[in-house]
Amino acid sequence: MSLLECRQVTKRFGALEAVRRFSFSLEKGEILGLIGPNGSGKTTLFNVLVGIHRPDEGEVVFRGESISGLAPHRICRRGMAKASQTIRPFQEMSVLENLLVPGMYGGKLGLKQARERAAAVLNLLGLEDRGRVPSGKISLAERRQLELGRVLMTGAELLLLDEIMAGLNPAEVERALGLLEKIRGEGKTIILVEHVMQAVMKISERLVVLNHGERIAEGKPEEVARNPEVIQAYLGRPYA
Amino acid sequence: MVLFLQSLINGFLLGGIYAACAAGFSLAFGVMGIVNLSHGDFVMLGAFVTYWLFVLLGWDPFLTLPITLALLFILGLFLQKLALNRIAGAPPIMSYLLTFGFHLVISSLALRAWTADYRTLNPTYAGLNFNLCGLVLPYSRLATFSLALVLICGLYLFLYRTEMGRAIRATAQDGEMARLLGIRIFKIYAVTFAVSAAITGVAGSLVAQTFVVYPQMGLPFTVTAFCVVVLGGLGYVPGTLFGGLILGIFESLATTYLTAGLSLVLTFLLLLIMLILRPGGVFGKGALE
Amino acid sequence: MKALSPNKGLPVFLVFFLALAALPLLGVEGYRLRLLTLLFLWVSLAGCWNFMSGYTGYIDFGPVAYFGTGAYATAVLMIRFDLHFASALALSGLICAPLAALVGGATLRIRGAYFAIATFAAAEALKQVTLEGDRVAGFEFFGGSHGLTLPAAPDSEFFYYLLLGFMVLVIGITHFLEKTKFGYGLKAIRESEQAAELSGVPTFKLKMRAYVLSSSLIGCLGGIEAYWLTYIIPDDVFNVMRTIQMVIMTLLGGMGTVWGPVIGAGFLTLVGEFLGAKFVYDYLTILGVVIVVVILILPRGIMSLMKGRRGETV
Repeated sequence: MSLLECRQVTKRFGALEAVRRFSFSLEKGEILGLIGPNGSGKTTLFNVLVGIHRPDEGEVVFRGESISGLAPHRICRRGMAKASQTIRPFQEMSVLENLLVPGMYGGKLGLKQARERAAAVLNLLGLEDRGRVPSGKISLAERRQLELGRVLMTGAELLLLDEIMAGLNPAEVERALGLLEKIRGEGKTIILVEHVMQAVMKISERLVVLNHGERIAEGKPEEVARNPEVIQAYLGRPYA
Repeated sequence: MVLFLQSLINGFLLGGIYAACAAGFSLAFGVMGIVNLSHGDFVMLGAFVTYWLFVLLGWDPFLTLPITLALLFILGLFLQKLALNRIAGAPPIMSYLLTFGFHLVISSLALRAWTADYRTLNPTYAGLNFNLCGLVLPYSRLATFSLALVLICGLYLFLYRTEMGRAIRATAQDGEMARLLGIRIFKIYAVTFAVSAAITGVAGSLVAQTFVVYPQMGLPFTVTAFCVVVLGGLGYVPGTLFGGLILGIFESLATTYLTAGLSLVLTFLLLLIMLILRPGGVFGKGALE
Repeated sequence: MKALSPNKGLPVFLVFFLALAALPLLGVEGYRLRLLTLLFLWVSLAGCWNFMSGYTGYIDFGPVAYFGTGAYATAVLMIRFDLHFASALALSGLICAPLAALVGGATLRIRGAYFAIATFAAAEALKQVTLEGDRVAGFEFFGGSHGLTLPAAPDSEFFYYLLLGFMVLVIGITHFLEKTKFGYGLKAIRESEQAAELSGVPTFKLKMRAYVLSSSLIGCLGGIEAYWLTYIIPDDVFNVMRTIQMVIMTLLGGMGTVWGPVIGAGFLTLVGEFLGAKFVYDYLTILGVVIVVVILILPRGIMSLMKGRRGETV
């Protein structure tokens, strides 16, 4: 049984079809890259998966159960969570407290256990000495790490990472990739949406390409990179 | 049957005014996300401007509309520049509290200046009616209704047919993008809020011809504007016309057939039902997030 | 006074409350006793309001709806149904719960603006029910604008201790919940509701709980005031001024903190007493200006000054 399956998922906003009849399946332990030009529907797809939007047509099946239309907090508790650069941290709370929330709710831990897991996550992220700092005062890179930490705390087995590497310098990107490998090593499954191409190409085992809400290609990174339709989608016809 | 029709007509005419009162509220909300809890006080101020110009100078209430428009426009500009701009990016809670603060200051200053007395506007044509098959249609009500429609259409044309209007709508849809396109956001915000205050002020002038005028009248009108906007869809300006008409007719029928005493309660129940069943308004285009 | 951790602060607070409890025994009475009782009432009210609006960020503009409902419920239960004060009070709090559930249920799933105005409208609507209800329905229940007169109340000391206890309860609840799962959930909703929802927080459920709890407690406070004053009219117990004061007290002291409402309520009650009748007309204006100034300059209230410039949280 696949971990996640999308069956003909369609999402419209008024007359615009942001995601059009999208189908794919994902196995446990995979790192899948979801790419496509701006506006191709990647973020919308993520939002549908995680419960922010309800699909107009089609179905999302997670661990064999249909989750289309469930509230985001329920989907999170079932084991699928999204990290995104647009999500603001809980600013008045410290970095540690930011991690307690997803731990206690999404992760269903008690306060004490949540503290323990939070300490471990802070360690993993290299933020051990930043625990007490108000999260409104940390750097951009740290905010990205915190966001990653947030989804880790939920204990979710499928992580949807939406452009969390945006704005990071190459060294930070390398670090992030190392983290992702470590996370996968602990049994998590990841779908990565990124514009930082070298990162996505490097770490994904498989790529799915979206354009105008539709899947136009799928396969190993090297194959997809040579696919004329993909090149056309990104760079335009002359380059195909 | 005649009673029913009369009630319907009354409600219809009333609804036009309600719609005019609410249009500015929807505008401010749609563009800047500001819920202006002092909104009703602009109605009150517009009503008082008209009242005093009539009583002190003898100027006809219909002719002084442009003055009300200008004065309230300036007030809106002033409030925006003074305070609202500072909380532009802040969480909505700030705008509720800040505008609530405005409400307190404006209404209590008005109370201080003009006392709590109820006042009515009595131009010479106040009691004249147009009679149609036994139905009574006061001329002044017909006139205010027409003007309310003109106001709303004017706002619509402004938003959809002028350069500034386009800029405002662009900002409402995507502030970031608008800024990138060279639109000066804060200027837009200022103009939007000023326009909102101005048309609400004019609506207030129309209200002065229909209702009693007193400093505390603002808050009930804020609630009314809100009800209209929920019915029409928060942020969806075209919807306010229908929202207004629906509310006007509902209140009129409720007053005639049920009871005048509990009109607030009934309106509130209507509001709750709308919120539970169809929070996006009759057209479903209201902003919920 | 930096944010005190529970362990360090507890003995200090206990001593403080015991001292307050001892005051009547030491001879404090009359005007001073009543002033303190009033203070406890306002701290409790602000504290309850804070519990919902301060912690979730969903501003309740109609808490007086429940204050009035509680007052009338207690009055009616005691007068027309011959209940004891204690039972009437308990029932009054319970009666507020389904009302709050109705208003909250309709508005807490959508943007905060709806909640803000719907709560305000609720207060006005309920006031109208007590004002016009009798006339419309044709029977003698609420007493219309003449109001209701309750059975004679015990002496001032009774209310002093009752409200002191209530105040301790409210502060205690807030303090206790702050560092628990529930408290964190509420704060998360205020700070970033989407992040909260995506972190597994059932935002609607938590908001409802906070609102129903806050409203029921406010209802009880209304019942206590009704018994204390012995005579209630709609314009008094449903007066929007109470809402305004609850808002300002909490805002001034610091929303979403345990001691903010205490500081704000203390300050405003004492200042209000000393200014007395002198500035009656200007009082509202001043309050309005206070709100505007606080929002623009010190949005987190006085507590933010006290938390220290380092900005460290416990």
